[in-house]
Amino acid sequence: MSDPDKPFFVGYLPVPRALRAFLLVVCVIFVPGLAGLGLALGTAQDDPGEGAFRFDYGRQTVTGVVELTPYPVLRVTQGSEHVAVGQTLMLAGQGKTSVDARAAPLEGQLATASGVILDRGDLEMMQLRGGQNGLSAAEGAAPEMTTEPLGRWRLAGEICDGKCLAGAMRPGRGIAHKACANLCLLGDIPPVFVTTQPVEGHAFLLITGPGGTKLPAEAYHWVAQFVTVEGEVARRGDLLVLAIDPATLERAD
Amino acid sequence: MSVKYIPVQWNSNKYLYDLVMLCGVALFLYVFLYAAPGLLSHERPINPQVHNARAFGACAFVMLTVILCIGPLARLDTRFLPLLYNRRHFGVMTVFVALTHASYIVDWYFAFSMSDKYEALLFANTSYGQLQGFPFEAFGIFALIVLIILAATSHDFWMKFLTPPVWKRIHYLIYPAYLSVVAHVSFGVLQDQQNHVFTAIFLAGATAVGGLHLVAALAERRRAPAPAADTAEWIDICDLSQMREGFAKIRLLPEGDRVAVFLHEGRLSAISNACAHQNGPLGEGRIIDCLVTCPWHGFQYDVRTGRSPAPFTEKVPTYALRLSGSTVQVDPRANPPGTPVEPVPVSGSGTAEAGV
Ligand code: HEM
Ligand code: FES
Repeated sequence: MSDPDKPFFVGYLPVPRALRAFLLVVCVIFVPGLAGLGLALGTAQDDPGEGAFRFDYGRQTVTGVVELTPYPVLRVTQGSEHVAVGQTLMLAGQGKTSVDARAAPLEGQLATASGVILDRGDLEMMQLRGGQNGLSAAEGAAPEMTTEPLGRWRLAGEICDGKCLAGAMRPGRGIAHKACANLCLLGDIPPVFVTTQPVEGHAFLLITGPGGTKLPAEAYHWVAQFVTVEGEVARRGDLLVLAIDPATLERAD
Repeated sequence: MSVKYIPVQWNSNKYLYDLVMLCGVALFLYVFLYAAPGLLSHERPINPQVHNARAFGACAFVMLTVILCIGPLARLDTRFLPLLYNRRHFGVMTVFVALTHASYIVDWYFAFSMSDKYEALLFANTSYGQLQGFPFEAFGIFALIVLIILAATSHDFWMKFLTPPVWKRIHYLIYPAYLSVVAHVSFGVLQDQQNHVFTAIFLAGATAVGGLHLVAALAERRRAPAPAADTAEWIDICDLSQMREGFAKIRLLPEGDRVAVFLHEGRLSAISNACAHQNGPLGEGRIIDCLVTCPWHGFQYDVRTGRSPAPFTEKVPTYALRLSGSTVQVDPRANPPGTPVEPVPVSGSGTAEAGV
C-alpha cells in the first residue's frame, strides 16, 4: 500500500507542496554534482607526452640516401635547420599512408625529401609532402652507408606505430589506442618499439619482422601491450632497428 | 493515455525536468572541455578530438548510471518517483551524448587511412581471442546500438504498437547495454590510466547501480512475500481493517502477476498492479477523481472496470473479490482487461462486516 501520508506526484499536475523541497535538494545535488564530476574526470587525464608535429619548424627539405628497412628511412647527408647530417628519418605519408611506392624505386639512391617533422625524444619522422614534391631523386652518387649489427637483444616494452607515438596523436599509445595503431601499421606506417630499458641510449627502435621483412601479422595481436621480445638490433645512422623474432613475443607483467 | 501521438506531450513539469537535466549535462561537458584543460599541466595538450571523445564518453556513462539508479531509488522511496516520470527524455539525451562520443572516436582514430572509417572500426583490431588488447570498441558498439533502439522506440506509439510486455522486454536491454559499457571501459581506458580518479568514479557508479537494484529487489520481496505453494482457490490479501480509503494493497499471485486491491468509497475492487502504459505499479498510485492514477506517468483507470476514461482506451485486467469474515480474498484468475466487476461493499469503513 502506498503511504497515505506521503505526497503523491502526478506528472501533469502541479508538484505537491511537500515534495518541492525534496526535489529542490535533488536538483541542487544533481547539477553541481555533475559539474564536479566533469572537473574530477577532466583533470584526471594523463599527460600525453612531448611528441608533436613540428609545424613550428616550418617545412624541412633535406637530402640523403633512401633505405628500405623494409620501412623507408632517409639517411641524411645534407641537413636543414632542424635536421642534422647523420640523422636517420623514418618516412611516412599523409594520415595513415606509407610512402613505400615512392621510396622503393629510389632505394640506395640519393634523394631529396621534403615535409614536416614529428619528434618525440630521439624518435624522428618526416611526413612527406604529396607526390614528387615530397620525395625525388637528387643529383650525385649515393655515399656508402653502413649498418652496424649490435647482436641479439631481449627487450621489454610496447609495439606502437611510429607516427602517432611521435606526436601525430596525443596520446598515441596504450590499449585505448590499439585499434588506431593497428590501422596505422596496416597502412605500413613504420612500427616502433618503446623499450623500458634504453638500448645504447635509445628509448625507441624501428621494429621489423625477422630478417628485415615487414611486421608479421601475428605481431598485431601484441600491439599496444606490455610485452617482451627477442631480436637482432642494428644501428643505421642514429636509428636503431630491431628485427624481432615473433615466436619470442610474450606478455610481460 | 494519448489518443493521438504527437512527438512529445509537454507540460511544465517536463520542461523543468529537461531543463535541470540539460543544465547538469551542459555543465559536466563545459567543465570537462573548457575548465579542466587549463588545470592540467601537460607539456603539450591532449588532442582536442581525444579530449572531446573522453568528455562525451564519460558523460554518457554518468548519465546512464543516473538513469539506472532512478528506478531502484523510486522503489525504495516514493519521493524519487518524479525523477522517473520523464526519465525517457534523459535517456534520449544520453543517446545523443553517446553518439557524439562515438563520432569523435570514429572520425579521429579510424579516419585518415585508405579504408572506410566504419569498416576500419571493425577490422583494425581483431584480437577477440585475448583479454589484454581485446577490441573493447565492440562493447561500445553494442551499447550504442541498444541505446539507439531504446531511444527510437521510446515513444508511446511504439509501446502501443509493440504492446507493453514486448516493449518492456526490449527496454530491459538497457541492463546488458550497461554491462557492455562497463566492459567497454574496463577492457579499454581503465587498463591504460596512470591517474586512477576515473577508475574510482567509474567503480563507484557501477557499484551504485548494482547495489541499489539489489537492495530494492530485497526490499520488495520483504514487502510482498510470495504466496504459499499450496494456495487454495481464493487468496488472502489482508484483514479488512488494514485497508484504507483511496489506497491499495498489493499482492503477488501464484503465476507471478501482482494484484492491487483498492478500497474506494467503502467498496473493494481489484485490478492488475501493472499499468498498461509501462507496467507502472498501479497499487502504489492513488484514487483521484474516482480513478486509479498511476504513480509513474499518471495514466488513469476506473477501479471497477480497469478501463481508462474516454476518450482513452487503455485497459488492465480486473479480479473478482470476496470477503471471508474480515479477510479480503481475491480470485487469482484475472478477468480479461477491461472486464467490469461489481465492487464488494464494506459495511462501515475499515470494519469487518460485509456481504459476498
Ligand atoms: C561505436 C561505439 C563506440 C566506440 C567505437 C567507442 C570507442 C571508444 C574508445 C576508442 C575509447 C578510448 C578513448 C581514449 O581514451 O582514447 C572509449 C572510451 C570510453 N567510452 Fe566509448 N565507444 C563507443 C561507445 C560508447 C558508449 C555507448 C559509451 C557509454 C554510454 C561509451 C563510454 C566510454 C567511456 C566512459 C570511455 C572512457 C572515457 C575516458 O577515456 O575518459 N562508449 N570509447
Ligand atoms: S506506467 Fe506510465 S503511467 Fe503507468
